[in-house]
Amino acid sequence: MTESFSAEDLARRRAASRRLGWAIGLAVLALYILGFFIKR
Amino acid sequence: MSIATTVHGEHPAEHYPGGLLRWLTTTNHKDIGTMYLLFSLVMFFVGGLMILLVRAELFQPGLQLMKPEFFNQLIGVHALVMIFAALMPAATGFANWMIPLMIGAPDMALPRLNNWGFWLLPPAATLLTLPFVLALFGVGDGAIATGWTFYAPLSVQGGLGVDFAILAVHILGISSIMGSINIIVTIFNMRAPGMTMMKLPLFAWGWLITAFLLIATLPVLAGAVTMLLTDRHFGTHFFDAAGGGDPILFQHLFWFFGHPEVYILLLPVWGLMPHVLATFSRKPTYGYTAQVYGFIAIGLLSVIVWAHHFFTVGMPVPALIYFMFSTMAISVPLAVLFFCWIATMWKGSMTFETPMLFAVGFIVLFGIAGLTGLVLADVAADAQYHHSYFVVAHFHYALFAGGIMGVMTGVYYWLPKWTGHMYSERLGKLHFWLTVVSFNLTFIPQFFLGLAGMPRRIPDYALQFAEFNAISTVGAFILGISQLLFAWNIWSCVRGGPKAEARAWEGAEGLEWELSSPPPHHSWETQPVVK
Repeated sequence: MTESFSAEDLARRRAASRRLGWAIGLAVLALYILGFFIKR
Repeated sequence: MSIATTVHGEHPAEHYPGGLLRWLTTTNHKDIGTMYLLFSLVMFFVGGLMILLVRAELFQPGLQLMKPEFFNQLIGVHALVMIFAALMPAATGFANWMIPLMIGAPDMALPRLNNWGFWLLPPAATLLTLPFVLALFGVGDGAIATGWTFYAPLSVQGGLGVDFAILAVHILGISSIMGSINIIVTIFNMRAPGMTMMKLPLFAWGWLITAFLLIATLPVLAGAVTMLLTDRHFGTHFFDAAGGGDPILFQHLFWFFGHPEVYILLLPVWGLMPHVLATFSRKPTYGYTAQVYGFIAIGLLSVIVWAHHFFTVGMPVPALIYFMFSTMAISVPLAVLFFCWIATMWKGSMTFETPMLFAVGFIVLFGIAGLTGLVLADVAADAQYHHSYFVVAHFHYALFAGGIMGVMTGVYYWLPKWTGHMYSERLGKLHFWLTVVSFNLTFIPQFFLGLAGMPRRIPDYALQFAEFNAISTVGAFILGISQLLFAWNIWSCVRGGPKAEARAWEGAEGLEWELSSPPPHHSWETQPVVK
């Protein structure tokens, strides 16, 4: 049994992807910025 | 894995802009994948031309064609172009084209981010190579001449080319992070019903680990080169010993990125290999779970071994021993992968179409990269091999035989799916044999040169090295010219040829082969179900 991707399902999947994408992006930014404050 | 299949026709309301606008504005994963692959091919030839000039200079001892400064620039930009603008975009092109098809997704999860990620690449590549052109007009002293490693203090003192390269690396890094985010969220959120993580195609697994490695290490590279920029222009002394800084700190930061980068370049290829080997052995992949855990183990180990790149810098003995053994530990999961690849072929009904030839060639030649890597990981032996041509030969077995030949495997394997046509098998096989023979002709002599003590990145050398250098240069030119066959074969296949079926290869398994060749512009509008 196969069915079309519904608009709602795709929107839900894309919204979840955006949230995770932002979270990863912010983690990358934090890693980049925090690096400047590491003292040897 | 069984698949409830669907028949796909053209989308009834399919419309998209034509001409240049299509390529500038496209958010379609196949269009973007095609652009990545074309860009990679162009930059492969640009980077190749640079190193042919280098090899021409090294054909004979003494300075023949160029000044040492220009020689150094060619070497550095060759490496940056090949790594960041040829190999990485090729792997990203594969991911864009194939991951949605393989996991049953209608597109990447974030299509506009995808477009942006690609269009950052051409300006970055321009920035890398522009200083060559500017120097012709008397602006600056040429491109970056530090090698791809940007080592301080040379890079702190370098000319305009270093600034261009720093900016280019930032942009390339942003592009790669965007691509990685997209791949991670696509794999996590866009899989077809029934496709659990342990049913995910190994190519997607390889790319998932690659994407996490990029996320973990690129910010460190970006931080390091930003610090380099502030050392150069804003009076900081991160890497300046005279101001209390530490040039060795740069090496630690660079290689924290640089070593995982090797696996970033190779994991997508390792993910692709089982598909090709299984297809042309007409057997299921051997050891799926072992390969998944192998990828994860290599990914984790790759971020804790970086200092083996500079054993000779003067580290405490416990640190040397730690980095030696942790580096050698990588050979364990890598041996698991080799075992699985060979076991997949074992007692299979093997045929040797071009992708299979490249895959088997990859296993043999990449095996040499692994074995010579073990030699270099030995801290006592490394004191002799460090900064010699032995290292150059080793990493070309890893990155050309492992990386580029792996990419060629993928191109020949998926070209019928992408274009709807079969390429010329005769030309493909000729390309394979010319590549393998000339590659070995180029790099086997370099092992001997390195063992005999010839240092890398030097335009002149002692007379004793002349014969091996001449052989290596002849090999390099045959290798370079034979790649024109590759480009011609792709071009011919795009333009026409025998029609490829949906399942272009008899033994091919997976969702991607359920779609027509080429797939419709909007693929998987009807959800496949994986059982």
